[in-house]
Amino acid sequence: MVTTVADDMFTGDAISDPYSYYGKLRDEDPVHWNELYELWVVTGHDDLVWMTRHHELFSSEFWKRDQRSPYPAIDESDMGLYQFMREFFMDWFIQHDRPVHTDQRKVVHKWFNPNSMELWRPMVRSVIKDCLDEADASGHMDVMRDFATPLPLFVIAQMMGMPHYDRKFIRSMAEKLLFIGRGETDRMQPLTEAIKEFIEYLTPLVEEKAAKPVDENDLLSVLASGEKTGALTRDEVVADAILLLLAGHETTINLICNGTLAFTQHPEQWKILKEGRLEEPDAITRATEECLRYDPPVKSIQRVASVDAELGGKLIREGDRIRWFISSANRDPKKHDNPDTFDISRWPNTHVAFGSGIHHCLGATLARLEGQEAFKALAERYDNIKVETNEFEYQPSITFRSLKTLPVSLT
Amino acid sequence: MARKLQITVNHDLCVGNAMCETIAAKVFILNDDRQSEAKYPDADTEENILEAAENCPVSAIKVVDADTGETLFP
Repeated sequence: MVTTVADDMFTGDAISDPYSYYGKLRDEDPVHWNELYELWVVTGHDDLVWMTRHHELFSSEFWKRDQRSPYPAIDESDMGLYQFMREFFMDWFIQHDRPVHTDQRKVVHKWFNPNSMELWRPMVRSVIKDCLDEADASGHMDVMRDFATPLPLFVIAQMMGMPHYDRKFIRSMAEKLLFIGRGETDRMQPLTEAIKEFIEYLTPLVEEKAAKPVDENDLLSVLASGEKTGALTRDEVVADAILLLLAGHETTINLICNGTLAFTQHPEQWKILKEGRLEEPDAITRATEECLRYDPPVKSIQRVASVDAELGGKLIREGDRIRWFISSANRDPKKHDNPDTFDISRWPNTHVAFGSGIHHCLGATLARLEGQEAFKALAERYDNIKVETNEFEYQPSITFRSLKTLPVSLT
Repeated sequence: MARKLQITVNHDLCVGNAMCETIAAKVFILNDDRQSEAKYPDADTEENILEAAENCPVSAIKVVDADTGETLFP
């Protein structure tokens, strides 16, 4: 079908308002062949869920199987770096299919289950208190810099036993790794620099943990135990440690920042949250799920067809690459009533912010916990959160929905 | 003799992560929508079933003592 949507996904409009761009695609051509990137773009809720639950048709081994040129294009001279990057990403456990994926995920799955995560709630509360106490002194904060970033970064670094003075380094490496979702032709440079520096940083730490008996209170030690059971190689342990550090905070940053912005733009919902007048599940739980639906931290994820398969009436050929969009699926009118309305009473809230199927986000419970505690603390502490800017600038990423800053006043 | 369990999976929550199927494959079967169903509640040990419930990432599995009604998980 012909669509009126241009294929460039990095225009200012597509970045600032993915809901219009991908929403239009979803309405006009929900399984769309993007000629510019030689890529299937899947934008509807039901197609997304069907695809993610049919992992035997749509492989997660993207970096191993994708044979086409990088999209968007990169500098010809960086093809060696591109290859280096691919080989690194192939070691991530999320870049595998069954049965390898299951064996590798099992090493850390239990760590992240809902009961295990509850144990971290007091620490999350204490970090939030410290951040907000500091903000109270001036009555202002940049939600991104002063709250949304330090909280999840502190928590994941603490879980993995990283020294506190390394948090700044971890964040600066993460910022370079985020070039993975961007469109600059020279993006391989910062990206591969970060991979190399991260490997150098983590290798001795992993070596140290692997030499000792497993410490069940230390996520890096638990991950390293996968080497002893044969589920992971040393290189895979190091690669997954980088993945956990990155994914363990980047996504939650966006949940807290985007969610806070949504509340400032919808004072009536902020009032409902503050008054807590909703039945079980409570207002905080519902609000967090609605933030995840309304302005989700992750916009899209990739797959590659492992066989010829039909999706939404289109024939997808073996080896074709696919990107599925959470942004548009979460606003699909076939799934959600008044999908463009921010409504924290919505329940059940069947959003796909964490994906679906066997690759459903490992850290979902941690993200939820941090989001719940962050929104709860804001609602308990402040009557008004006022945004001190009229311009909202987002990182030019196809993968993440990340504000650059969010300055607010607090009263 | 092992006590009889009543196991339910909430399909508003189940995302088809299939970790329950991985841990207790004789009990949990994925349906056509790839959501979990506790088809054979007697087919594995209580310990394995509780482990499967505990490792559901979205807390969709509820386990009850079928005779007394006591909630065993969550």
